[in-house]
Amino acid sequence: MEKEKVVINEVLKVEDLRTYFYSYAKEAFIRSVDSVSFSIRKGEVLGIVGESGCGKSITAQSVMGLITDGPGIISGSILLTHNGKAINLLEGLSDYVSVKTKRKAILEITKDVAGWLKRSEILIKGIRGKVISMIFQNPKSALNPFITVGDQIAESIMLHSSISAKKEAIDAAAKWLERVQIDSPSMRLYDYPFGLSGGMCQRVMIAMALSSEPALLIADEPTTGLDVTIQTKIIELLKQLKEELNLTILLITHDMSVIMQLADRIAVMYGGRIVEYGLKREIMDSNSFIRHPYTIALLNSQPTVEEIKMKERLRAIKGDVPDTITLYRGCRFYERCDLKNDRVKKKCKEAEPEMIEIGTGHYMRCYLAEG
Amino acid sequence: MRTRYVQRGAEVSEFSQIPIWRRANKKDLIQIGFGLIVVLFVLSSYIAAVLHLLPYDPLGINLKEMMQSPDYKHILGTDFMGRDILSRIIVGSQAYFMPGLLSIIIALFFGTMAGLVSGYNGGRTDSIISYILDLIDSIPKMVIILLAIAFFRPGIYFIMLIVGITNIPTVASLIKSKVIFLKKRNFIEAAKALGLKTRDIIFKHILWYNCKAIVIIQATLGMAEVILIETSLSYLGFGVQEPEPSWGNMVAAGKDYFFRGDFFLSTAPAVAILISILGFYLLGDGLNNLLEWRRRR
Amino acid sequence: MKYTLLWKPILKLVLRELFITILLLLGVSLLIFSILHFAPGDPLHIFINIQTQNPEEIAAIKRELGLDRGIAVQYLSWLNNLIRGNFGNSFRTGKPVFSELINVGVNTLILTIGSLIVTLLIAVPIAVVSSLRRRPFLSWGLTLFAYILSALPVFWLGYIAIYIFAKKFNIFPFLSAGAPSGFRLNWIYFLLPIIVLGIGNGSISEIIRHMRTQLERVLSEDYIKAAKAKGASIWRHSFKEGILIPVTTMIAAKIPFILGGAVVVEQVFNWPGMGRLAWQASLDRDYPVIMGITIFAAVVVHLGRLSQTIVFAFVNPQTSEKGEDA
Repeated sequence: MEKEKVVINEVLKVEDLRTYFYSYAKEAFIRSVDSVSFSIRKGEVLGIVGESGCGKSITAQSVMGLITDGPGIISGSILLTHNGKAINLLEGLSDYVSVKTKRKAILEITKDVAGWLKRSEILIKGIRGKVISMIFQNPKSALNPFITVGDQIAESIMLHSSISAKKEAIDAAAKWLERVQIDSPSMRLYDYPFGLSGGMCQRVMIAMALSSEPALLIADEPTTGLDVTIQTKIIELLKQLKEELNLTILLITHDMSVIMQLADRIAVMYGGRIVEYGLKREIMDSNSFIRHPYTIALLNSQPTVEEIKMKERLRAIKGDVPDTITLYRGCRFYERCDLKNDRVKKKCKEAEPEMIEIGTGHYMRCYLAEG
Repeated sequence: MRTRYVQRGAEVSEFSQIPIWRRANKKDLIQIGFGLIVVLFVLSSYIAAVLHLLPYDPLGINLKEMMQSPDYKHILGTDFMGRDILSRIIVGSQAYFMPGLLSIIIALFFGTMAGLVSGYNGGRTDSIISYILDLIDSIPKMVIILLAIAFFRPGIYFIMLIVGITNIPTVASLIKSKVIFLKKRNFIEAAKALGLKTRDIIFKHILWYNCKAIVIIQATLGMAEVILIETSLSYLGFGVQEPEPSWGNMVAAGKDYFFRGDFFLSTAPAVAILISILGFYLLGDGLNNLLEWRRRR
Repeated sequence: MKYTLLWKPILKLVLRELFITILLLLGVSLLIFSILHFAPGDPLHIFINIQTQNPEEIAAIKRELGLDRGIAVQYLSWLNNLIRGNFGNSFRTGKPVFSELINVGVNTLILTIGSLIVTLLIAVPIAVVSSLRRRPFLSWGLTLFAYILSALPVFWLGYIAIYIFAKKFNIFPFLSAGAPSGFRLNWIYFLLPIIVLGIGNGSISEIIRHMRTQLERVLSEDYIKAAKAKGASIWRHSFKEGILIPVTTMIAAKIPFILGGAVVVEQVFNWPGMGRLAWQASLDRDYPVIMGITIFAAVVVHLGRLSQTIVFAFVNPQTSEKGEDA
């Protein structure tokens, strides 16, 4: 959360992003993403890590404008810098919405749905797939089962590059398949997704995503649906492609080991908010004193090989994922926090901590940072 | 057009604990409400008809009051023989109501049995049952009915029996696909592993818990179809004969008066048909949205 | 190159379907044949009234019509003729059933298919629009309107249409009876029954509902989301599973229903179709004609189903591998 102005090589700068869904049944807002801010520099990999349900996927989808289901709003600003120009992907949307708040909590939203949807479509057009590409969890179900793999990649190519002839596009697709290390690419072009393994499907998706040479690649749990051995290969592939193409990646996962291998900078999310943000080496450094209790718990929950051998008990984090509807007063992690002491307990229960800088570019949302 | 979202509740409660009327779409509720009203009307018409609680005698010819427009005496006017139209419409519900129930019961009973057996057992039983049901499905209903009428000169009950039989394949295939769905989800395997008795599995778990919705919805759609068929048949002159009133033959009788400018004779029963079919259909549709359709997120 | 992989398995699938269809048609013919012969009444009464009740003459007629043989023999001989394309001769007119059937059958088919097209033209756009969720009230209004249309009794609707066209536009609905080319008279009058049946056949509501359910389900699939993420048109991607397949399913499922409605409409508009022939033949106990009509109807229904299978096979690449339906 740089408080300076937009740094020149920042590809994406997200500020105060909120994605709320409205539930008619419970007559309340589901605050999936509750004021999230981060930025990604060119050539950098930002990893967002957290448990299921903490809002990391929704963050990615909000950036891509994939949230159209259901009533709700997306607010804040998403600044995309591309070719020297900065665009706000949420610009003007607030015109369609009027909000009533009470003590920082949103109570009522009145929205012109049709206008809002139309406007957000206009904003995202020309960006989706071209400037920002995304790859998904469960690669097999993310590919159209009725169209050949080659056709799908060729579609991407024809949409986003200057190639408009189908034949040329298919040839280009074959080259990309080779680049993602798929065997006999010219044969694979005519396969349908159901005939391909999970790993291969993911490679195909990566090929599709990178074929438009995007400024930003969003990887939403790219390894979660795959076998462990394949996971490693995909991560290797991503690393390699990152070097080759100087990719900027927003990586989302709940798997710490993936983060450790790929990310340069990490944002830890909990309950729709970022609770720690900083360079990987600082966060991962076990000698560092000050880290968010949740981060520490996450890192600790990963057993080492010795512990597995000794059949030690897993260090799970006690408690449950917080629900994103209930309006909390204090810190959301309070119940599950192992590190709270008497000094901070009162503050923890009173009000939610703000992000406090504990090192250069290293922030944390916890009262333990003070003093 | 602005939509308002207001935060009222913020406490946690399990989704399924919220009663149905809270989690239902307003639109579905309206549909169901309308449908229920129609059902009520049809039911009360039937009862009134049986008990002869009518404003006028539906067969009572009164040539002095022919072709009168609706007024306070005759709410829907009179027809070309001076008979009160409203009474005739009320009595007209007799033509399809009971026979319709017969048709529905037959279709549902045999259809669920066939669907359950063929879905649960699979294999050869399934093939045989499917074959027989496909046979029934191969010929259009109307063709069968016409043939049957020409051959047997049957009463409305027999006709509705045939209609019920022709609906068996539809019900059976819906139930069967539900059973297969449960099979795929390992529901049945799990139940067997728990040691539940086969009879219990089939009747209590599959049928009662899972297929209730299908049965109810097919019943409503079935009634809508029955009304359509019966009125079509009596329009063509095959069902209820004059002077007994049926909505169909009332439309038929009234059609000749169209060109004289007297629409009401035909239109009143046609509107009755319209509202009844619509009501049953909306009821079924609303219930379907409510009970079957898993809301996607 | 890609499609050469598909031909063989699709052919296998289609042949299998064809085989089952033939079995079904056999079953249907057997069933109807048996019912015909065990039902009350017999074909001879058309002749007995005209001629004397001389037992010798009756026996002669019986022999001529082939009714003196056992039922099984009669059935097998009918089947034998059928395979050679001979539908037999009508008891009443003595003319080949086939030519009679073709004349009226084609008319009924025109009515059926035409009205199916009309129904789809109304139902599919409404279904698509209402699943977009953009303007909820408009789409709900449209849907409700369609439901009301669908619940209108078709015979009444037909008469209203005739009345409007006769009074307001002075187009009179008098087809020269028995002239299959009587459509020369008025294009509008030709279209009218088709449109009326298209609106009034009662399947609009089901088609809308089914299409909407399927389309909404498909639009929420992962691959549509991914297609959106790459900037592709979701319509192109959802077309196959969300529109094409449900439409063919509905066509196959509703053809029998629409055929039935056609019979009613034929009566209202005096359309020279199969309905009248079926009715007359049933009264006459004209067995060959009845069998011919039944087979004709069954074939039409199965053609609908077969085309559904073929479309499924082409659309779903998995059928080529496993030989199963979609």
